[in-house]
Amino acid sequence: MQAEPLDEHGNASSEDSARGPHAWWGAAGGAVLVLLSLYFMVGGLELGLGTAFRPGTGAFPFFTGAILIVLAVAIILQDLRSEGLAEQPDWISFLAISAALATFALTADRFGLLPAAFLTTIIASVPDRSLSLPGKGLLGLVVAAASWVLFIKALGLPFKAFAGF
Amino acid sequence: MDIIANFAQGLVTVLQPENLLYCFIGCFLGTFIGVLPGIGSMAAIAMILPLSFYLDPISALVMIAGVYYGAEYGGSIASILMNIPGTPSSSITCIDGYPMAQSGRAGVALFVTSIASFGGGIIGMVVMAVLSPALASLALSFGPAEYFSVILLGLIAASAVSNGGALKGIAMVFAGLMLATVGIDLTTGDLRFTLGIPELRDGVNLVIVAMGLFGVGELIASILANREGRGRQEIDYSQFYPTKAEWWASLGPILRGGGIGSFFGALPGTGQTVASAVAYAVEKKVSKNGGQFGKGAVEGVAVPESANNSATQTAFIPTLTLGVPGSASMAMVIGALMIHGITPGPRILTDHADLFWGLVASFLVGNIMLLILNIPLIGMWVRLLQIPYRLMYPTIIVLICIGVYSLNNNVFDIWLTLLFGVMGYLMRLFRFEPAPLLIGFVLGPMMEEQMRRAMLLSRGDPMVFIERPISGALIAITVCILIYGLWSTLHGRRRSRLAALPTAE
Repeated sequence: MQAEPLDEHGNASSEDSARGPHAWWGAAGGAVLVLLSLYFMVGGLELGLGTAFRPGTGAFPFFTGAILIVLAVAIILQDLRSEGLAEQPDWISFLAISAALATFALTADRFGLLPAAFLTTIIASVPDRSLSLPGKGLLGLVVAAASWVLFIKALGLPFKAFAGF
Repeated sequence: MDIIANFAQGLVTVLQPENLLYCFIGCFLGTFIGVLPGIGSMAAIAMILPLSFYLDPISALVMIAGVYYGAEYGGSIASILMNIPGTPSSSITCIDGYPMAQSGRAGVALFVTSIASFGGGIIGMVVMAVLSPALASLALSFGPAEYFSVILLGLIAASAVSNGGALKGIAMVFAGLMLATVGIDLTTGDLRFTLGIPELRDGVNLVIVAMGLFGVGELIASILANREGRGRQEIDYSQFYPTKAEWWASLGPILRGGGIGSFFGALPGTGQTVASAVAYAVEKKVSKNGGQFGKGAVEGVAVPESANNSATQTAFIPTLTLGVPGSASMAMVIGALMIHGITPGPRILTDHADLFWGLVASFLVGNIMLLILNIPLIGMWVRLLQIPYRLMYPTIIVLICIGVYSLNNNVFDIWLTLLFGVMGYLMRLFRFEPAPLLIGFVLGPMMEEQMRRAMLLSRGDPMVFIERPISGALIAITVCILIYGLWSTLHGRRRSRLAALPTAE
């Protein structure tokens, strides 16, 4: 599904600061899966496994959890031994986009759709240094106006354009 | 003759103005997203899914399908002009498309890919129309045990050949199955794993999982991919039309690509990327012009585009007739149908014949629309590539937020999307593929229900899955794929370690 470069090692070496983290950090992902499976297995036991004839509510989560835990342990073993590098991360964009979503969640109910769209656009465009602050403001205004036209006027979705003022 | 009558009936359905409009919106949006590197059809489908809830099922399905195959048309544009695949499956098109563009023949390359995409799409459509009824009548004899096994086969096939290796792919499927159990258990009415949060009673919404893992996750990754400025590409429109010799040279590759693509599209777990790669390799062997491949051969752009487009059409065969999606996008199609109360499966051809044949006919209409969008209007997409991405991605993030917010008018859904987005990005870095997780998530409830019914019918004997012949055969195939997947993961690692030695200068 996803286009991933088969091997980035060659490219990464040209610019040392832009290297990805070690691939063995993937083992941490395996550890998270172990914890998650344990949670579903314990929960499954509490819900009841039922009988083979009539499997209970907890049976399916319990058994999928049991298989996942085996796979997750194998992933931990596999990734701890891997010597390559993971894909090069872009933490600034990662933080900015996360902050943009959080901004929308915090402002949509309190101030309405348009202020939320405006602020979300500005926060999301923070990692881009080539766009000046007034430029970002203008982009925010355009996006807010366009969402008003598209979602409230044209599609008639039940949003408040402004709230709490 | 039945097929032709049904097809004509479908054509009448899809030619209604409303369906035509949604078909066009889908194709347009698909091409748009396909042109943008780094964002695939998954993100686009997730974004229009909330909108499709308001439509009738045919319009919704036709629109979603339009996005799906429209993205394949758009994907080749970035491949040819910038050597960056707009969609994963158009990466093969770069091999000959970019050299053609560099030697000033970008126009011809774009023209041939559009024609090849159209040819492939039509071949795929015919295969779907002929094959689906046969497959559906076979599947009508399926009981719960067979359904459980065919879902298991679909899940394993879709994950065992994933980019991150079989182990992580399969683990992601099980994580998806587990996640699907959150919410009310449909059989008993018990609450499961809701953490006391009332919003989780109905489970996690498919739109949120898809928007988070694909929309937000892909968006973050695409910012870096698009940071470098894009060179201005001028197309010489006087050299837009292929010569007569080039027309003839493309004909064979289009037919062969369409055939190979149809086959791989219908298999669960292979899809467009495998289809175009195999078709390219085969064509290179059989073509008289094989030596020119990689240096800008017309055949080299025709064959992968024909293959990946026919694969997008035939991917609907197992999705609709068996209810088993081969890819995450197809899982979204199943999700969308279930929201409309339609369960994909062999009965769809009899119970919802208008829907099925309407979709098949929409492939013809949609491919004609795409031909128009991609040949006379090609200049529009080329200019779109020149819009700086920094103006586009904040807009997309706002669209994602509003789309999720429109589900229930509840900001809790945005927080949940943020959680899945963060997860999706971290997973991507360490090669935990999000696609198998989504497929597992969609098929989880169905699989659990079939398992319970099968156990009930067999009076608690788990051997039923192996003893019934069709189910047993499906399980045997699944085991073979599992073994092959795990073997090739281990083998591939050893090979890549060896290959790394000489290059590490």
